[in-house]
Amino acid sequence: METVRNNKYRSPEASAFYTAGLILLGIVVVTFIVSLFWTPYSPEATDAASKLLAPCPEHPFGTDNFGRDVLSRIMSASKYTIYISAAGVAIALILGTLAGIPAGYFGGYTDKGIMLLGNSIMCFPGILLALVAVAVFGASVTNVIWALGLVFAPTFARVCRVGTMEIKELDYITHARVMGVKPGRIMAMHIFPNLVPQLLPATVIGLANMTLFESGMSYLGLGVQPPDASFGKMLSDSQAYIRVAPWLVIFPALMLVFYILGLYFISEGLRVNLAKGGKR
Amino acid sequence: MQGKAGYFVGKLIELLVTLLLVSLLVFAAFSIIPGDTARVMLGPEASEAQVNLLRSQLGLDKPLVARYFSWLFGILTFNPGTSYAYNMNVGELIAQRLPVTVGMSAIAMVMVILISYPLAVLSARKPGRLGDQVCSVIGHVLFAIPPYVASLLLILLASSLFSLVTVGNYVMPSEDFFGYVGCLLLPSFAIALPKIAMSFKFLRSSIIEQRASDYVRTSKSHGLSDLKILVRHVLPNSNVSSITIISIILSDILGGSLIVEQVFNLPGLGRLLLSAISRRDFPLLSGIVFYLAFITVLLYFLSDILAAITDPRIRLK
Repeated sequence: METVRNNKYRSPEASAFYTAGLILLGIVVVTFIVSLFWTPYSPEATDAASKLLAPCPEHPFGTDNFGRDVLSRIMSASKYTIYISAAGVAIALILGTLAGIPAGYFGGYTDKGIMLLGNSIMCFPGILLALVAVAVFGASVTNVIWALGLVFAPTFARVCRVGTMEIKELDYITHARVMGVKPGRIMAMHIFPNLVPQLLPATVIGLANMTLFESGMSYLGLGVQPPDASFGKMLSDSQAYIRVAPWLVIFPALMLVFYILGLYFISEGLRVNLAKGGKR
Repeated sequence: MQGKAGYFVGKLIELLVTLLLVSLLVFAAFSIIPGDTARVMLGPEASEAQVNLLRSQLGLDKPLVARYFSWLFGILTFNPGTSYAYNMNVGELIAQRLPVTVGMSAIAMVMVILISYPLAVLSARKPGRLGDQVCSVIGHVLFAIPPYVASLLLILLASSLFSLVTVGNYVMPSEDFFGYVGCLLLPSFAIALPKIAMSFKFLRSSIIEQRASDYVRTSKSHGLSDLKILVRHVLPNSNVSSITIISIILSDILGGSLIVEQVFNLPGLGRLLLSAISRRDFPLLSGIVFYLAFITVLLYFLSDILAAITDPRIRLK
C-alpha cells in the first residue's frame, strides 16, 4: 500500500488529461457558482418583444421562443446538472460500498446473494430502470436522484468487491484478524481507506454517466420539471425551432458536453496515473 | 468435454435464476405503486361497486403471490395481458413496435463494427502517431455526447448542409425495405457514435497489448507478414474481450434507442414506453420492461457462451 500512498509519479499523458478536464469542468462549475449570485436576466422572465433573438450584445446566447434569455437559463440549468449528479453518485457510492465490501470480505453465500441482486439490476438497460422508477413514484428531482443512485449502486459494489478480495489477502488484514479486531471495524478502518484510489475514477465517471442519464430523462420530460431549467428540457423545447434558432440547441448541448467530457478526461487521467503508479 | 458441458449448464442455471429475479423485481416494482389502479382508471366519480367490479375483472383482488404467478405465466407464454390504455394484447402491441427498435439497434451495431474495427487496427499499427492521437481525441469527444444530443446536432447538420428532412417519416419494412433502412440510418448513426468510440478504445488497447506479446514476436521472426499475424493471431485474441464489450454495447444501444426514437418521432418501443408511463398503463409497462430485460439477459448469456467457445481458457477457470 506504500506504493499507492507515496505515489508522486505523474505521467505527462495524465497531466494533459487533467488540464483539459479541469478547464472544461471549470467552465461549468464557474457558471454554476456565478449563477448562485447573479444571472443577467431572471431565467424565468418572459419577454414577448424579444422572442427568438439571435445572439447579440444584450443576449450573448440569444433568446428562446418565450423571449427568455438563454444564457441565464443555461446558468440556472447547470445547478441541477451538478446537484443531481453529485447527490446521485453519493447515494450510489454509499449503497455500493455497504454492499460491495461485505460481499468481497465474507465471500460465500453473502457474496453470491449480493452479486446476484446487483447483476439482476444491471440486466435492465440502465435508463429503462430509472425511467420506470420515476414512472412509478412520480417525476421529481428527489425521485430522479434516488432512481439513478439505485441504478448505479451495482457498479460501485463491483469495484469495492474486487478491491476487497485483493486487500483481504494482505498480511496486515490477517494480522488484524488474529488480534481479534471485529470484521466491521476491519472493513471500515482498514479496507475502505485503501479502496479510495480505485473508487475515485469510478466516482468521477459515475458523475458523467449519471449526467448522461439525467439529461436524457429531462429531455423525455421525466426529470427536472418545468419551469425549472435543465439542459435536457431546454434541448427538447428547442427542437421545434432547430432550423430558425440553432443557438437554442447549440449552447445547452455545448455546456452538457463540456461537463461530461471534463469528467471523462479527469477520470482518464486518474486511471492512467493509477495504472502507471502501480507498475513502478 | 465434462468441463465444457458443466460450464454451459452452470451458465444456463445462472440465466434462469437471473430471469426469475428480474421477473420478481419487475413485479415488485409494479405492485408497490401508490394508488388504486381501478380507481385511477374509472376516475373519482365512479361508485364503490363499479371500482370493485373492475378490480375483480383485472384480478387485483387476488392475493399477491397468485397474481405474481399468473403474471409470470402470462409473460412467459407471450400473453402478458391487456393494455389498459390501448385495450389490446400487450404482446401484439410490442410486436408491432419491435421492427423500429430492433432495426435501429441492428443497424447501429453494424455501424459500430464496420467503423471501429478498421479504425482500431489502423490506429494500433503505430500507437502515438498523429493519426492515432487524433482518433483518440475524437473518440473521447464522441464518447461524451449523449445520443439524443448527437441526434439533434445531426439533424441540424443534415438540414443546413443537404436540406435533408427525414424527421418523422417512418416507412414500414413491408412497404419499402430500403425506405425503412433509409429512415433509420440517421438515428442509428446517432446511437452508434459514442459506442463506436467505446469499441475503438477497447479494441485499440487490446490490439496494442497483443502485439507486444511474445507469440507475435516469434511469428514475426518466423517471417510471417504483418497482415497474417494480425488476421490469424492478434484479432482472434483481441476478439474475446470484444465479445463481452459488444454485449454491453448492444444493451446500451437498446437503451439509447428508447430516447432517440423520441427525437426522430419514430414509432418504436421507446414511444410505447413513454405513452405507457404517461397513461399509467402498468400491464403494458411491465411487459415492455420485462421483455427488454429478457433480451439483455439473453445477450449476456449468448456472449458468455460465445466467448467460452472461442477461448477455451475461460471455461477452465
